[in-house]
Amino acid sequence: LSTVEDFLVHDVHKLVASAEQLSNSDGLKQGINQLLSIVETCHQPWMNGLVLLEDREQNKHCLSTGCKSLDVLLQGGLREGHVTELVGPSSSGKTQVCFQVASNVAMKLGGVVYLDSGNSFSPTRIKQIVTRISGSAENQVNGILQQALRNIECHAVFDIYALLNVLHQLQLNLESQAGYKVRLIIIDSISSLIAPILGGNNAQGHALMVSVGYLLKKLADRQNIAVVVSNLIFYSCW
Amino acid sequence: MEVLRLPLSASQKGKLISAGYTSIASLSSVSPSHLALDLKVSETEALEILKCVSEGSRLQSTSSSLTIVNGAQSAWDMLQEEETCVHITTSCADLDNILGGGISCKEVTEIGGVPGIEFNLQLMFRYHMITVELEARQFISIQKGPKACEVKMMQPKDFLENISYFRVCSYTEQIALTNYLDKFITEHKDVKVVIIDSITFHFRQDFDDMALRTRVLGGMALNLMKLARKFGVAVVVLNQVTTKFSDGAFHLALALGDSWSHSSTNRIILHWNGNERYAYIDKSPSLRSASAPYSVTPKGIRNSNSNKKRIKHI
Repeated sequence: LSTVEDFLVHDVHKLVASAEQLSNSDGLKQGINQLLSIVETCHQPWMNGLVLLEDREQNKHCLSTGCKSLDVLLQGGLREGHVTELVGPSSSGKTQVCFQVASNVAMKLGGVVYLDSGNSFSPTRIKQIVTRISGSAENQVNGILQQALRNIECHAVFDIYALLNVLHQLQLNLESQAGYKVRLIIIDSISSLIAPILGGNNAQGHALMVSVGYLLKKLADRQNIAVVVSNLIFYSCW
Repeated sequence: MEVLRLPLSASQKGKLISAGYTSIASLSSVSPSHLALDLKVSETEALEILKCVSEGSRLQSTSSSLTIVNGAQSAWDMLQEEETCVHITTSCADLDNILGGGISCKEVTEIGGVPGIEFNLQLMFRYHMITVELEARQFISIQKGPKACEVKMMQPKDFLENISYFRVCSYTEQIALTNYLDKFITEHKDVKVVIIDSITFHFRQDFDDMALRTRVLGGMALNLMKLARKFGVAVVVLNQVTTKFSDGAFHLALALGDSWSHSSTNRIILHWNGNERYAYIDKSPSLRSASAPYSVTPKGIRNSNSNKKRIKHI
């Protein structure tokens, strides 16, 4: 036995039986137990329906979007653990919905990470939205405004590798830090990052896109975060 | 098993673990040559591994920084910065009003219009900071320069010295130039405006592979966005119009199709309304949709002199 693959391929019971036949088998048994425990942590735990239901009720809440009709459409709001995609033609309001959702979550629920690929994040606009949501007058809103804006982190990403880097960092940091709670990740827009690499001679484009999708879903599920990505519609090229 | 979380290749991680290094603390005190011997790798590789480890531990210890992602900024900090941001004025007060002061830096603004609408040169001459222009079409009339200068009472020579002009003749040159701009602006730190006139010219004719065109345009758009953000310059991109057939009628739309329409932060469409030229904000994340009249005079772009002075908010 020299690789993990060999270990996994062999029948564990036979291994243990053959180990007991050897003298000094304690070390080997310990080794086998350790390996088994590591293997357990590598894959998702098996869950039955009841456990899944409990997880959904306790951990996967709905984040209100701040807009009643959208909440009704989404049956409560953006669900944590899900990746929601906003699709629409240009100037249809995707970025505005992202701003609205970000403001609402930042004011009431927790941290927001906003990944912007088109320089469209506008703090002034967010300030306007927060002012309107809080309902108080322009000059009284400063404390709430500061708190809400500090909850939103904006990072500009201009290529797919930068995006993957950010997602990996998030994964690492969220696992280790317990204090700061990110509730929402917004990527606006993911299509402009993926379009230049799909098709053509680049064989990796599709794989990169799938890895991003996988990472987003994993982050959403493990860390109980709602993810919103915006995509564009376009008809055939003119 | 902290070593597993480091961004190293799987074989490197395997070697580290089999040599007994399972935690970051165990690696923090070992020298590169010692590590190289233990792992049986070259000393440069051991150095790289240690660099990775130290970066990782540095990131973890800077938990005092508020952001959870390296390089991110909180919206509050961005708001403070935005209040000190410069806007590039267009010399037409109405237009500046609807733009919130002028063309904003750190954003890519697309301006498109029918032939006969002249907008491009005005931006260059208004500011006596360095501007970079990429000219794709056939003409450029530098002779407008001296007349525009009379307004500011500066020497024409000063104006023209501050304009760096690049002529591109094919789409590959255009892409190469957008890639080169990064280096150019790093060297010339006071560039404030980059004007590309017009971005669509080389992509409309003789381009057989549409999928390639979309990819290339997407890559170029991202480059321009990165430039605008990194150096705080205003990137102005000029576009041509084409006709689009929808709902049984022809109407004008900007060239390069819907895929390009997502590549700019703001979009302004110039059109004729009766006898007047109008600028209309078509797309913006923070500005209201509005339109304002302007006129082209021998001295450049100015407010229009019509009776209707009020700006139309839509």
